[in-house]
Amino acid sequence: MSTVETPAASSNEAPPPSPLRRVASFAANQQFILFLVLVGVMVFFDFHNSRFFGTSEFTNLLVDFSEAVLIAGAEMYVISSGGIDLSVGSTIAVSTVVGAYAIQYLEGHHFGEFPSLLLGTFACAGVGAMVWVINALLITKARLVPFVATLVTLSMGEGLALVFSKGGTVGYDPAAAVWSSTGFWIFRWLTLMVLTVTVVLGLVLHFTRYGRYNFAIGSNPFAARAAGINVNRHVASVYVLSGVLAGLTGMIWYFNTSGGAPQNGIGNELEAIAAVVIGGVSLFGGSGRFTGIILGVAILTVVHDGLVFINIATTWNEVVVAGFIALAAVLQSMRPGTKRLM
Amino acid sequence: MESTPENNDLTSSKNRQSGPVGSGVDPSAPMLLSLRDITKSFGAVQALQHVDLDIPAGQVTALIGDNGAGKSTLIKTVSGIWAPTSGSMYWQGQEVHVHTPRDASHLGIATVYQDLALCDNLDIVQNMYLGREDTKAGMLDEISMELATTKTLKDLSVSTVKSVRQLVGSLSGGQRQAVAVARAVMRESQLVILDEPTAALGVSQTAQVLDLIKTLSSRGIAVLVISHNLNDVFTVADRIAVMYLGTLVSHGPIANYDRNSAVEMITTGKSDRVAALASSN
Repeated sequence: MSTVETPAASSNEAPPPSPLRRVASFAANQQFILFLVLVGVMVFFDFHNSRFFGTSEFTNLLVDFSEAVLIAGAEMYVISSGGIDLSVGSTIAVSTVVGAYAIQYLEGHHFGEFPSLLLGTFACAGVGAMVWVINALLITKARLVPFVATLVTLSMGEGLALVFSKGGTVGYDPAAAVWSSTGFWIFRWLTLMVLTVTVVLGLVLHFTRYGRYNFAIGSNPFAARAAGINVNRHVASVYVLSGVLAGLTGMIWYFNTSGGAPQNGIGNELEAIAAVVIGGVSLFGGSGRFTGIILGVAILTVVHDGLVFINIATTWNEVVVAGFIALAAVLQSMRPGTKRLM
Repeated sequence: MESTPENNDLTSSKNRQSGPVGSGVDPSAPMLLSLRDITKSFGAVQALQHVDLDIPAGQVTALIGDNGAGKSTLIKTVSGIWAPTSGSMYWQGQEVHVHTPRDASHLGIATVYQDLALCDNLDIVQNMYLGREDTKAGMLDEISMELATTKTLKDLSVSTVKSVRQLVGSLSGGQRQAVAVARAVMRESQLVILDEPTAALGVSQTAQVLDLIKTLSSRGIAVLVISHNLNDVFTVADRIAVMYLGTLVSHGPIANYDRNSAVEMITTGKSDRVAALASSN
């Protein structure tokens, strides 16, 4: 989209000659601020411990990034369509457990390693989709507010993950661990797949009708309906998408921890929402840039991993994250045209 | 205003009252949109009772009436927000069934609602194309949409908007109204319905919107405008339709009405002056 400079545009207000011309100028600023923060944090950690800029640490960073970015992307879709999703974390837990059982069963029946892992991935995505079909039904048919509906599936998911796994890790799988640690340079294959999906999510959100409708519904559902958009169908599809992404994240956890543990991903919905807030996405819906949440996830990941490098206990992580959320929220409320309650 | 089509129309409406309802449209004067015997109830409440209305192309029809008279219900029925309980709708002489806003928009009916139905967080181009974006290989074709938006605004002489990439939330009331109307025009609508387009607007912005309405009708587009403001009505309307407690009590060319008779019709549902003016024309 670097060719959006048109005669029409140049005859209007002189636009900045950047490919991001379509982004409102302040939003562009916020992206830039986030980028500076990310670079600043990384330089800070490297200044205190020169091993931070090493290949192995970047590999780890990307692995942690890939565990968080898909559900943050899912949360971005949901929040910008005017909803909220509390159940991404617990869906990771359920899907990782069910996926582990599926792989165990398939490998036990001589399905071969690769087909088993592939089918296990489908099982994870399927579980995620089922959880979100429940969400979608509760929201569009039973007319629950998204907060309550996803609170229901949050509790249900956490509970079912424990019931299914009987409290322990399902299926230790060294093959998965070996496969997931291969790749080239700082990229593992799994990381590359996640990054590809992330790019597709961003493109769909900003350059297709589906993404446009997402923002329109978040901005004014009545207007969206009057314009002929099937609002209920779209909202339902966003929750199903969110479920599939959480299910895939469950599979990533399976690979990275070599098994399905019921505590995988629990509480991660708050990290995802934090990334969305830091990324400058309005919690009222209708606006935000996908690059913002990518930067948000990157900042959270770097902070989380970097604290270890400067000898600060990881227990401080949440406190530091809180600081970033507060900073981002204040930045956002200073934005012109922000809705205020008081 | 005493040209032949209007007189024809008046006689045809008399015929309709005497003849059986729903028997069809007078072929000598094909209307863009004709409503016959439209009734809409919400439970025990009858919001519309046996409404007959004809809307000719290229003219501005003003729909007036007191609060609760059924004006909004009528336009929501025409624009597919909800289906009528009974009655029929004819579009260019053909019977049509409009069940969703999409049905109405396929026919060429565009409705500009009181709350404007614009998305504040989207820019002008995005709002203009909402629900029917141009795409190229699955991706949004921003360039063609931006060019067409600029052209449409220019055609309608809307010059107050600085950039078509401005967020709609940052526009003034008159500019928002202009964007909503331009959206209807760009979709090649044949009937544009405006719900209180000048409520909450200042004097100069009201004048801009009224000019816009005249531009529409001069381009052959039928306009149905709801208004409480009789000044506006007598400035732009070619025809008047008066609603009173869910029924359409009177409609015809504007020459059949004056300010006093219109007020009388709105408040009591009848007026001797209208009948007198109609027979003298």
